[in-house]
Amino acid sequence: MWVASFLLSAVMLLIVVMPLLPIYDPYGQDLSYGLMAPFEHDGDKFSILGTDFLGRDLLSRLALAGRVSLIIAVSAVFISLVIGVALGLVAGFFRGIAENLIMGFADLQLSIPRVLLLIAVTAVVGSSVLNLTILLGVTSWVSYGRVARAMAMSLREREFVLSAVTQGASPLWNMWKHLLPNVLPQMLIVGSFELGQVITLEASLSYLGLGVQPPLPSWGLMISEGQQYLAINPWMSIFPGLCIFMLVAGVQFLSQRFTKEGDQDLKMATRWSKKPA
Amino acid sequence: MTDMLRVTDLHKHFRLGGGFGRRAEILRAVNGVSFSIAKGETLGLVGESGCGKSTLGRAILGLQKPTSGSVELDGKDLLAMTKAERQRQRPRMQVVFQDPYASLDPRMSVHDIVAEPLRINGVYREARVKEMLDCVGLRPEMADQKPAQFSGGQRQRIAIARALALGPELIILDEPVSALDVSIQAQVINLLMRLQKEMGLTYLFVAHDLSVVRHISHRVAVMYLGKIVEMGTRDQVFGAPAHPYTQSLLSAVPVPDPKGRETRGRIVLKGDLPNPANPPSGCAFRTRCFKAQARCAEEVPELVDRTAPGHASACHFAGIHTKVC
Repeated sequence: MWVASFLLSAVMLLIVVMPLLPIYDPYGQDLSYGLMAPFEHDGDKFSILGTDFLGRDLLSRLALAGRVSLIIAVSAVFISLVIGVALGLVAGFFRGIAENLIMGFADLQLSIPRVLLLIAVTAVVGSSVLNLTILLGVTSWVSYGRVARAMAMSLREREFVLSAVTQGASPLWNMWKHLLPNVLPQMLIVGSFELGQVITLEASLSYLGLGVQPPLPSWGLMISEGQQYLAINPWMSIFPGLCIFMLVAGVQFLSQRFTKEGDQDLKMATRWSKKPA
Repeated sequence: MTDMLRVTDLHKHFRLGGGFGRRAEILRAVNGVSFSIAKGETLGLVGESGCGKSTLGRAILGLQKPTSGSVELDGKDLLAMTKAERQRQRPRMQVVFQDPYASLDPRMSVHDIVAEPLRINGVYREARVKEMLDCVGLRPEMADQKPAQFSGGQRQRIAIARALALGPELIILDEPVSALDVSIQAQVINLLMRLQKEMGLTYLFVAHDLSVVRHISHRVAVMYLGKIVEMGTRDQVFGAPAHPYTQSLLSAVPVPDPKGRETRGRIVLKGDLPNPANPPSGCAFRTRCFKAQARCAEEVPELVDRTAPGHASACHFAGIHTKVC
């Protein structure tokens, strides 16, 4: 747990505190001070983590890139959570044709490699931060959908749902009042798990030039920019890579912790009651 | 007295397996059940696990669509009416389930649980919720707590308060006390009996505990493998059981009084409940019956009054067994 806290607070410190400092300047170029190493003094110019090929301060760019990456990832997770929960609950509660259609579509989507799909779609619609966010969100709903469906299937047979039916509750009432609140905690666990994946995916796409477009930085994009200067100044790629590692590892450790804590809850929520005689 | 609930030849069959060329087995969970309950009366429905008594309750409530038959609530056929009309009838018939842990939504407060039926039907008033909680003996300050903070008995009281909120006339009690400690069982049973007297409720009390059924019921029906095998007033069924199955059930009840222990016999049934997907021919009970004869395998015994008026039993050889009474 403290490993996760350490990694995440380091990243958060960079993202939140750095832009408040006077040395923050992610766009200022100065070609005469390009490709400085960390802690290198060049006359009166000093940069903590060095500069990139245009002489832009790396630390500032890392901080801005972190904001960009995190905003994209969190929004994408939110989008996929909403889609996944809605479709999963409908599939698990109504069963029948709705379930076959939704889960068939999920299998169809899983059969296409996600990166390939994203590359194909961005090639058509063009790459922008908004497009990227929506695409990441729309293509990663399946894990939420699967868990939500499984839980809905068990919850719909639970007595508190049945008793609401005998009181005249509509399916919508049951899904909104009983299924959603009982499914949501587990969805957040799935979400914390997915967050790490979405961050890496965003970095990969940006690295390929299909995500965030320069001059806006993103960690994936920064690695790609540094690639050409790997022999002269490897720090340009190492630092963003380290940042991705710290954030993803931190989020994963944390989500594993959630899963462990949530297990008891999960068991309670999906516990099968005695089958009718 | 008019009938609050009349069930006529109700069937609920389940298809097992099948598909890909294999023949589906048909499980007859409820296989032609007929009975009626008068207003203000309690009918106790007894039977061992797997005999279809809970399925019967659920079919009456409309949670599972019956295969055939009719369910009439206060003279209106629930299965023949339109969806909207059926929905309007729902508040008149409520249910209390067996498992007090599964029957309350763990994420809702007690107040919200009891208020839910009122909100669904758009008649929510805070005073009504307080009144209901008071009615079942829960303190008003408990309203903000979550079900996890309550014991089984208290949870069952909450479930009863929820069932009462809409002012129903008929309550189906699906083994409401079998998950509780014996001392708590008595409290809940007495609460149910008090509420029945105060509000003129009609109960269908499903249970497998004979002494509880004896305490609360006016009339008793005994179920075996999807059918009612004996039905009569409490005193008829408990005092002069006519069906061998009822006799064996009663002989298994421990009696605290040592007097007459020598003459009291114990009828021990052979074997297990037969597979309901493949029941024996003729009388379903014949494979375990100590009275079984050739006729039992050929002819299904009808549930008709045999030993006394109003005391029906489904056995060709119905009669009092001296070892039990």
